[in-house]
Amino acid sequence: MATDFWASSHYKRWIVDRATLKQARADDVLYVAEPEHLGFFQIYFANLISKLGKKLQLRQRVISTAIVFFHRFYLKNSYCETDPYLVLSACCYVAAKAEESPVHIKNVVSESRTLFSQQGPGKPTFPSDNSKLAEMEFYLVDDLECDLVVFHPYRTLLALCRKDAEVEAEAGELGTGIGAEDGPKYWGSGRGKLELSEGALQTAWFIINDTYRSQLCLLYPPHLIAISAIYLTLVLHTPTQNTIFDETTTRRQDPVAFLADLNVSLSVVSTISQEIIALYSLWSRYKEEPGAQSAGATPGAGTGTASGGPEWRFGYGHTITPLILPMLLKRMREQKLSDMMHPSSGRPVAVNKMLERTQAAG
Amino acid sequence: MYGVPQMPLHTPPLPLPAAQTIPSLPERPLHSLPPHPYLPMGNLPPPSPASEQKLTSKEPSPSLQVDESSLITPSPAFGAVPTPPASRPELYSIVGQVGEGTFGKVYKARNTINNVHVALKRIRMESERDGFPVTAMREIKLLQSLRHDNVVRLYEMMVSSGSVYMVFEYMDHDLTGVLSQTQFQFSEAHLKSLCHQMFRGLAYLHHKGVIHRDIKGSNILINNQGELKLADFGLARFYQKRRRADYTNRVITLWYRPPELLFGATVYGPEVDIWSAGCIMLELYTKKPVFQGNDEISQLEVIYKIVGTPTLQRWSGFANLPWYELVKPKDPIPNRFRELFRKWMSPAALDLAERLLDYDPARRVTAAQAMEAPYFLTDEPKPEKPTSLATLEGEWHELEAKRERAKKKKRE
Repeated sequence: MATDFWASSHYKRWIVDRATLKQARADDVLYVAEPEHLGFFQIYFANLISKLGKKLQLRQRVISTAIVFFHRFYLKNSYCETDPYLVLSACCYVAAKAEESPVHIKNVVSESRTLFSQQGPGKPTFPSDNSKLAEMEFYLVDDLECDLVVFHPYRTLLALCRKDAEVEAEAGELGTGIGAEDGPKYWGSGRGKLELSEGALQTAWFIINDTYRSQLCLLYPPHLIAISAIYLTLVLHTPTQNTIFDETTTRRQDPVAFLADLNVSLSVVSTISQEIIALYSLWSRYKEEPGAQSAGATPGAGTGTASGGPEWRFGYGHTITPLILPMLLKRMREQKLSDMMHPSSGRPVAVNKMLERTQAAG
Repeated sequence: MYGVPQMPLHTPPLPLPAAQTIPSLPERPLHSLPPHPYLPMGNLPPPSPASEQKLTSKEPSPSLQVDESSLITPSPAFGAVPTPPASRPELYSIVGQVGEGTFGKVYKARNTINNVHVALKRIRMESERDGFPVTAMREIKLLQSLRHDNVVRLYEMMVSSGSVYMVFEYMDHDLTGVLSQTQFQFSEAHLKSLCHQMFRGLAYLHHKGVIHRDIKGSNILINNQGELKLADFGLARFYQKRRRADYTNRVITLWYRPPELLFGATVYGPEVDIWSAGCIMLELYTKKPVFQGNDEISQLEVIYKIVGTPTLQRWSGFANLPWYELVKPKDPIPNRFRELFRKWMSPAALDLAERLLDYDPARRVTAAQAMEAPYFLTDEPKPEKPTSLATLEGEWHELEAKRERAKKKKRE
């Protein structure tokens, strides 16, 4: 059932290079004080999708799909010219449908309204009207070019590291990525399986969840992200470290040989790992205020993220709380709006393309 | 455009005529989308350099002038970046309606650049209170992941005036239509080929983990090259090969619905398609649907009259099905299948049909097994594609056949 990743729209259309990512933010970067704020926005929005998804009782894979949709949408649009809250709500709604666990539009609207009303100063006004969300959904599907199949690293992780190789596909799961049966084709002999303990597997899973707070899913194919997560787990998960160096265990595994056996570019894997570490470094400066400690950044509480533990402090520099982000966003959008109305050239900007062309035609 | 080698976003069905100059185009009329609601100032961003590039690399505009009222323009946003409306070619010109899908009308249209015909299936959005219909989303996802000679090909998706269109390869006929006409007589070899192609398509779907759930004459398309393709995946679903999940039993058009669904089963697999395929196989020979019930109960009775009533020997699990007490047969009826169909079909064909219409889903043959049946391998004549269909006048779809019938009735 593994639909071929290499033939998919995910691989052909939605793996992009860094220049494209930069170009996509070209407009936004003019309206933020620090370019790194854009990175905080990514964390902030991904966390919101995660929270909204949990309220709607979506499974992790559905939430991840929603975040991928969000990132893809903002390859073509700017934060300052859109309403990211409406967009992320639509992402959850579409992802739920695309992954065969549909939720009612009314629930999405009401949960979104509740969630967004807790966003403090600068909080968005979310339309109470279902049709606004339905309309947004239409534009979202349009900008996604109807490419609704998303592949995720989870399946590769399970295929490589779970004891029972049986990787069960969930109902409606199409974007399953590269499964166990494709093993030899993608990572060598396939005999080099690395059994991880339940705890280590969990850690790797959480690292994968965390990668969606960055744009890694737009840069690299999911199986490489999975392998990077395994690599980081081997380095960071203390109990696993101990078993590797424990001479007395009967079933010793050689993780170095395992990684070397894989039919993938290890230098790309190490680049991805660096990126993940850079994400943690940024994230460690992003502090949810103590009162509102929730889904996004609590490690190991079953909420599915791996950051924040004491040995995981990569960060330095000043911290930022998500409280100020809605304010920042609001200011960005206001400035953008005023710039559109009073451009530096002094000539009013055309309200729409049609008018602009009419003007150009004299 | 994302710096990765990739296919063009929307491959046109055929290579475009090379080297065209791009004339300045008329204003894009009528069909522009309403302003994006998420743009607070109702203003499109100026095209980025990337989009400029995109424009020139996209299909050169046709120098044809076509009647604008019947034209459909692909959405600007489908070109990966909002494309300035002025430069959009009018890509498809509608020729006429050819069918009615699960969620919208199907039109025949002509690509104004390369003159290739396509089928446009319109997904109506305005009537959907829940936004984009989940069935449409399912069909899009499924078709994007399927690629087979016997499955209808989805070329691309397109947005125009608030509707989403699926752009399919055009097929001249559907099975219901082509069986209802009398000009062209199918030979035994033709029928065998059609049957074989249907099983090839089904074997592929089932291998991919897809149950079609609406196999019927109007969803089986045939072109003038004698190729058969399965279409309309509005009810199709992925299923799990290892673990059987609960699904709705309100699927498959009544006449093609297998007995286990009529008995209320909600746990089922690809065998449901095989029953439908068995009905189609008989229909190929008899030219009309064989089990024509009016409702669920009468559907079962019609089936009983032909293949007899189920017994525990024939179908061990049938007494455990949800509606058994409600719909169980009152009196035993003998199986008259072979004597009824002997005049139409060879013994090898009857053998296969019997294995397709097995009451017990667990014993019903799979599509892959059916392709290995003696009917295809050893029985004469060998399958042969009805390529001479090209000589057939007109195009035959269920829709036209219906209209024809309605006309006849009026005259009488």
